[in-house]
Parts: sequence; structure tokens; C-alpha cells
Amino acid sequence: MDAEAVYLRMRHKLHVSPNQTVRIKDLAQIVGPDLVIEKIGQIIIHKITIHDKNIVIIDLMKVLKAIRDEYPSIDIQTIGTAQTIIEVQYKKPKMTGVYFVIVWLLLFIGAALAIMNFHEDVSMQEVHQKIYYIVTGRENDYPLLLQIPYSLGLGLGMVLFFNHIFKKRFNEEPSPLDVEMFNYQQDLDQYVVMNENSENEKKTHDNQNT
Amino acid sequence: MTIKILSVMLIGLGGGLAVGAGFVAVLTVFGILPRLMQISKTHARIRSYEISIILGVLFSSWYGLRDMTITSSPWLLVPIGLASGTFIGMLAAALTEVLNVLPILMKRVGFKEQVLILLMAILFGKVFGSLFHWIFFVHL
Repeated sequence: MDAEAVYLRMRHKLHVSPNQTVRIKDLAQIVGPDLVIEKIGQIIIHKITIHDKNIVIIDLMKVLKAIRDEYPSIDIQTIGTAQTIIEVQYKKPKMTGVYFVIVWLLLFIGAALAIMNFHEDVSMQEVHQKIYYIVTGRENDYPLLLQIPYSLGLGLGMVLFFNHIFKKRFNEEPSPLDVEMFNYQQDLDQYVVMNENSENEKKTHDNQNT
Repeated sequence: MTIKILSVMLIGLGGGLAVGAGFVAVLTVFGILPRLMQISKTHARIRSYEISIILGVLFSSWYGLRDMTITSSPWLLVPIGLASGTFIGMLAAALTEVLNVLPILMKRVGFKEQVLILLMAILFGKVFGSLFHWIFFVHL
């Protein structure tokens, strides 16, 4: 095979089913002569077994090594990230309605209790009585006229902040929650890349020795 | 006498400085203002918003601490209540945000698609808890 350049870019993440064989074409985007791509793409990099648990990190070096073993003369240019995270998707635990309802109720009651504690903590009742006095000049121990709109406003404020509670967004930008979830996932990914990777290398090395 | 007055003034000024700076710092950390500007697309008006916050703080501390009253209709309380509730609601939402509760919770319970419904649980919980507090709890 002649030394035409092949461009290879590892995908960021790959979802596979248990016992699937992972080939290069799953792991990476490849650009180059069709014939070469076809051949390289079929190279098997990893076979998912039960020992893999649910995350496997494939390093770019492993892919390069596999390609070189088969076709030493190919010029490979790599672009982008150096690892692919393989997530093995075992049979999804079917989310049962009961479970969901329990979590929902937990959040509901927890939020209710938290806001009551908060009100007690900051003496909200006294503050509201004071506001009632400032505005009207009269004393009122139970200023419901202030407190009921206040309670509804609480919900409104959360909707505004999260931007998309009721499907219809105020604008197209991602909400802080979306960004937060993304950041969290990013951190997790980085963690597994750093930590699972070395362990994984050791494991495959052991296998080769035996 | 003069020294006493001066030292009390100094202490008051110092306390006010610390609390005011802390208040602004908290608002900044929670990022409510950027959020409101993002929604309303009024980034250019940031100076007016700053003035609005300062005036609000000055007004409430002046009237609140001196037991003064503007003697007007109780119905004025409705918009005030709504606005203060919205502000506290945003504060609460921002707080859960800062603490990173939701992403971890979603990951743990594994209902990524149902985030909205779970968020609604928190939202309704807050509204319900608040109403319950004012209507029943304070009478206990």
C-alpha cells in the first residue's frame, strides 16, 4: 500500500452494547482513500467483555499501534482528542413509575421543608410584618396579602432562572442547568480518562503476557 | 461626647461597608443579575440595574431601621410580594446551582430525560411549602 495520508480523529464517546467488538470505524472518523479506510476501519481494537465493567478508555496510541501492525506503510495524521470513552450500556434498568414517584415526592417534600426552614432561619415572618407596616402604616401579624404573591413569586423566580421548566423557552440559549450538567459530565469524562486509562492499559498488558 | 458620637458613626460606617460589600459579593456569586439580563437581553443597562439595587438597599434599610412608614394602600403589597418572591426564588435556584445538586442528583437517579418534571417537583415544593408556612404553620 502506498504512503497516502489518512486522517484520523478519535470520537469523544462511544456507546456500545455488551459483547460487541469495537472496530476502528466505531472509534474514529477516518478520511483518506476509500480502499484504505475500508481496510483500516475493520481492524478490531477491543472486544467488550464482562470484565470491562461499564467504561473502557481506548487510547489513540493503541489504535495507531493496531494500524501499524497491519499496514506499516500508511501515513496517519491524527486530529483532536487522544482518547475515546466507551460506555457499555447494559440493559437499561427500566425506570419504574413507582421509583420515579418516590424521587418526585422526595424532592417535593424536601423543597417544601427547605423553604420553611429558610423562612424560619431568616425570620421571614417578622420581615414581612415589617414590610406590611412600612407600606401601610398598620400592624398585621399575618400579612397574607404580601405572602401569597411572595409564594407564587418563588416559583416564578425558579422558572426564570432555569429558563425552560415549561418546555417553551424564553430564548434559545442553554439554561444554567444545561451548562451545569454539561460541565459535570465533562469533569466526569476527564476523570475517567485520567484514571481508568492507566489501569486499563495495565490490564490489557497483563492479558498479553499470559 | 464628641468622641463617642464619632466612634459610633465610625462603627456604623464600618459595619455598613462590610455588609454592603458582602451583599454585593453574594449577588455576584449567584449570578442572578447576568441571568436576568440574559433573559431580557438588556446587557447595556447594567449601570441602571446597579443603581436599582443600591436604591433598594438604601430604601429598605432607611425605612426598616427607622420604623418609618409610607402609609399607602395594602394592595401595593401584592407587586412587592411577587417581586420579592421572584427574587428569593431565583436566589434559591441559583443556590442549588452553585451547590451542584441537580447534575449529581440526575446522574444518581438516572432520570436524565425527566429533569423538567423533577425540577417541577422542587418548584411546586417550594411554592407549596411557602404557602403552607404562611397560612398554617405560623398559627401553630
